Amino acid sequence: MRIPIQINENSAEPLYHQIETQLRSLIISGQIEEGTLLPSIREFAGGLNCSVITVRRVYQDLENEGLLRTRQGTGTFVAGVGEQARAQFKHDAVFKALEAAVDTAQSVHCSEEELRSMFFKIVEKKYGGKGGEIGGESSD
Amino acid sequence: MENQVIELRDVLKKRRTKNIGPLSLAIPEGYVVALVGPNGSGKSTVLNMLIQAVLPDEGDIVWFGETYAEGLPLHIRKQIGFVPEQISMEERYLTADDAAAFRSQWYDTWDGYYFDELLSKFGVPRGVKLVKMSKGERRKYEIAAALAPRPKLLLLDEPSSGLDPFAWKLMISQLRECLKGGETTILLSTHIVDEVRRLADYIVLMHYGKVLGMVEKDSLLDNWKECWVTGDAELVQELPGVVSWKPEAAGALSFVTTACVEVERILQSAGIPILKTRGLELDEVLSLWIEGHTPAENGKMERRE
Repeated sequence: MRIPIQINENSAEPLYHQIETQLRSLIISGQIEEGTLLPSIREFAGGLNCSVITVRRVYQDLENEGLLRTRQGTGTFVAGVGEQARAQFKHDAVFKALEAAVDTAQSVHCSEEELRSMFFKIVEKKYGGKGGEIGGESSD
Repeated sequence: MENQVIELRDVLKKRRTKNIGPLSLAIPEGYVVALVGPNGSGKSTVLNMLIQAVLPDEGDIVWFGETYAEGLPLHIRKQIGFVPEQISMEERYLTADDAAAFRSQWYDTWDGYYFDELLSKFGVPRGVKLVKMSKGERRKYEIAAALAPRPKLLLLDEPSSGLDPFAWKLMISQLRECLKGGETTILLSTHIVDEVRRLADYIVLMHYGKVLGMVEKDSLLDNWKECWVTGDAELVQELPGVVSWKPEAAGALSFVTTACVEVERILQSAGIPILKTRGLELDEVLSLWIEGHTPAENGKMERRE
């Protein structure tokens, strides 16, 4: 099985960090399910053209975070992600994206008023004007 | 600690016109180490010394934890697979199968099925004397024969020279296959940047018979970058590892650094956005390294937190 991770060699972000961030979000978002056996370190490194040292570091970091666990002789598996961690991740991802949007607004000297009005316009458009309440899908 | 498969301790080989060494180098088990450097920098001499085809004049070489000044014993030699740059003369009037039969007497782990499979995959002609083969075909035979006993240590001296791109890809995937178990170590010399990119964990750069350093490949690529920022010459002077810089359009400037990870941290804490970054190509990295720009400290050893 191959893990969909995209490396950008021209980013200022170190390789291990790029891989770690993407793998973490694949796990926490549930795109890679609990119990999934990840490729061996050498296999993963080969697929990304990076060194085993980098992949080992990513696996170790995520194991320390409790997202992966390694069974001797079998391999590295995706551990269970708690509901709380998933909610936190969702919150953090959106928060970070909004923060970046505000940074962009500030860099082009957009006023607070303008920014608020733009934000509500986008929310209106995407959520179809159902107001501030954002419910989950009813059919679950 | 990781086991060292090979260790060179102040190894020196005196040549008529130049010396190779003194070299100190340790090759850790289970990794791929790429030996790179300009022609004549001593890469082949190093590989030849590792099977005692060339004997050092000074210093010690350690194989799997021991030195063997009186000659490599068979039980050590048969754990090593070698693809030499200069093809040996002994086998040239043999066909691939006859040569394999000869080699398999020495390697008790010789896997005939695996060798057959490799020959077919590579499309090496059977029943043809090695001397009658094209350079590429002969190379494919050498690679197959080196892999067949599944040695613990593979020494490959420019293994891809003469290979067509299809055979090259096949070689890469076969080498990766060997590495899966984690017990095979590969030391290969190469001029092919793409080969280093795809295979290597560590890079050893040689120049004029000296080892300029052994660096983790990803750390090298993470750190050697070109960055664009808004700022002036003063800012550049504050940043670590800057090799060169020049002004660009719209009040920006670009600079090449050997410590991008550190540069990014500094700029981020100073609130200066990086407008653009470009990872240097490996050949750019190597030529700057040869010119005397050394890799960032954190790239020299395995990072352990």
